[in-house]
Amino acid sequence: MRHTLSKMKKILALLTLLPLSLFAQLTIAVSYPYIGALTKTIGGDEVKVTVLAKGNWDPHFIIPRPSLISKMRNADALIMNGGQLEIGWLPPIINRAGNPKTMPNTKTFLNLSHHIKLINKPKSVDRKHGDIHPDGNPHFHISPKNILILAKTIEEFLSSIDTKHRDTYKKNYQEFSKVWHQKMALWKKKMKDKKGLKVIQFHDNLAYFNKEYGLVNIGTIEPLPGIPPSSKHTIEIIDLIKEKQPCCILHDVYHSTKTADFISKKTGIKVILMPHDIEALENIDNLSALFDYLTSAIK
Amino acid sequence: MKKIVLTSMLCAGFAYGDIAQLLDEDKRTFDSSRYIPDISLIGDFSYVNRSINDDELSHLGLPGIAHGLYAEHAHGGSNEATYNANQGFNFNYAELILSSSVDPFFSMDATFHFSESGVEVEEAYFTSTALGNGLRLRGGKLLSNFGYINAQHHHYWDFGDMPLVYESFLGTHGINELGAQLQWTAPTPFYLMAGLEVLQGENEQMFGNESVSLEEFTGDEEDRIEGTDAPSLYVGYLKSSFDIGDTTIFGGLSYAQGDSLLDHSEDEDEAHVFKGDAKLYGADLVVLHALDSYRSFKWQTEWLSRELDGVVYGDLTTPENFTSMNKKQSGLYSQLIYTHDKNWRMGVRYDTIYQNDITKDSVDMNEVDDFNKYSAMIEYHTSEFARFRLQYNRNEAMYDEAGLRQNLDTIMLQANIAIGAHAAHSF
Repeated sequence: MRHTLSKMKKILALLTLLPLSLFAQLTIAVSYPYIGALTKTIGGDEVKVTVLAKGNWDPHFIIPRPSLISKMRNADALIMNGGQLEIGWLPPIINRAGNPKTMPNTKTFLNLSHHIKLINKPKSVDRKHGDIHPDGNPHFHISPKNILILAKTIEEFLSSIDTKHRDTYKKNYQEFSKVWHQKMALWKKKMKDKKGLKVIQFHDNLAYFNKEYGLVNIGTIEPLPGIPPSSKHTIEIIDLIKEKQPCCILHDVYHSTKTADFISKKTGIKVILMPHDIEALENIDNLSALFDYLTSAIK
Repeated sequence: MKKIVLTSMLCAGFAYGDIAQLLDEDKRTFDSSRYIPDISLIGDFSYVNRSINDDELSHLGLPGIAHGLYAEHAHGGSNEATYNANQGFNFNYAELILSSSVDPFFSMDATFHFSESGVEVEEAYFTSTALGNGLRLRGGKLLSNFGYINAQHHHYWDFGDMPLVYESFLGTHGINELGAQLQWTAPTPFYLMAGLEVLQGENEQMFGNESVSLEEFTGDEEDRIEGTDAPSLYVGYLKSSFDIGDTTIFGGLSYAQGDSLLDHSEDEDEAHVFKGDAKLYGADLVVLHALDSYRSFKWQTEWLSRELDGVVYGDLTTPENFTSMNKKQSGLYSQLIYTHDKNWRMGVRYDTIYQNDITKDSVDMNEVDDFNKYSAMIEYHTSEFARFRLQYNRNEAMYDEAGLRQNLDTIMLQANIAIGAHAAHSF
């Protein structure tokens, strides 16, 4: 009798503590899958991550479904990429959620682009040049070096909004950093012989990856950012390829490869799909897999 | 003497000239230029060709429901132009939108329509940003969030004209009123939102609360049809959404209730005033299926049902004579839009008003109750900022004063062009 009573007390204690422990976990809303992966790695069991955009879609054109509004409303913090990448879909979701914790510039809000040095800042900002990003190229996460900086930024952010667990975050970052350094050395070795290789892209979203490994982007299939391929420009690219002999066309997974395949047929160079985020292609379910794939894709 | 003046002027110019130059941004002391709000301008133009000329068109209407839909409609002194009103070229508006955060607690937005008949304030409101608990408060002149299309600006519509049932029941601007709005997003894993609005109630097509002077009819300046207290329009709605894979389903139920004082005392024929209550029920369903980053199908349907109950002052020279009137009218529209890629979109829409039960002094007026309209459109976008649309309408809902139906065919070519910092639209 006593035995069962004490057992019941224990269960009761657990039941009352259970909801409290759930409260203790922070719910972090993030815009893209790579941010989700980094946040989960650094946050560990102390955080629950909700990712708003799907990894295989064009990051500029995410549909602002109402389900994202409730995800935003229930979050304790928001981490976004920035650099105007989310400007076409995130603002109405933030506005409709009415959650002061996810409003820009509160202490529970993080814009990652403010913590990275952006490259290719345009000299003049005018839409006649296409859909340009005024702050510079926002696709800065496709770079192992930057991933480390982003991980540190997220560690500092989580520590500032949840000081109780700052030691856990620090430990998680150090473990991640150790493993990541090893992987970076491997990837560097793999890409060593590709230095100076000329490439063509559909849209210049591999700018940071190319810079890190010495690849040279000589042109894009898009005549201007955000403007679909035109016959005139496609012919110009074909002529450019015949003249400069790049190795390949590095193509994102969300645009149709119709024009790229046509160019490939006319010039003989191959089209290589380059995933831009986790889930962009099947089997890419974490950041290591993403860079393993990217560094192996160009042969 | 002249030489001295000239030289001293020249010297002064050299000595003080550089103060007139604009200093570098980081050297200016009281500079506030970084706080300039987001400004954008959207121009909307159209070329219209109709099978019925403008004069005849202004006399057509939906008996018992609405009239003057296709004309520059003069009401109580103000000229409310409808979109694409004239045969030939139309300058619908140059919409100026300003938007900015005010302080950590509020944001403010305003939309002005500039057209050749003047400036209209379409929206001007402030919105809370820090209430928490999913609450959002908005105050000012706003587009009600009743239904689905009501809160959308014209430049975002999938067709150049409003659905027939909205335009007939509420007018081209829908429920566009001065008032306060409170919305609450529930802490549920799926989207659930409840909203309540208290509005002034000046919508001329269905509501209204201002007294109407009968001096020009009775000769007595004391004679009028008494108005009611404002605010007099209340709107409530519940909306929800969930996703099944790449398909999003969004549905809502809305209700609006208000005093109704319809001033048709200036009408050419059958001048009258209606005074009573008006109730509007709405149900909307939107299904969006995305095939990939750029291709999608969007099916949008809204059903509206209204009841107007009150009295009609048919002979304004003798306001003590009036007849009781009750109108029960219902209709819906359903449209399917296919977005093929970043450049091309196309769609079809069906409009109908299928119930038009009008009783005067308990006698059924047996009005026409079969109004249909069919539309199809195809759009080309050069970018997200410029759109060209070709639209065809077959309108079988218009009747002349003799009660004969006049079918109307319309071809419209529309251009909608945007510059500046225009924010993204919500779902």
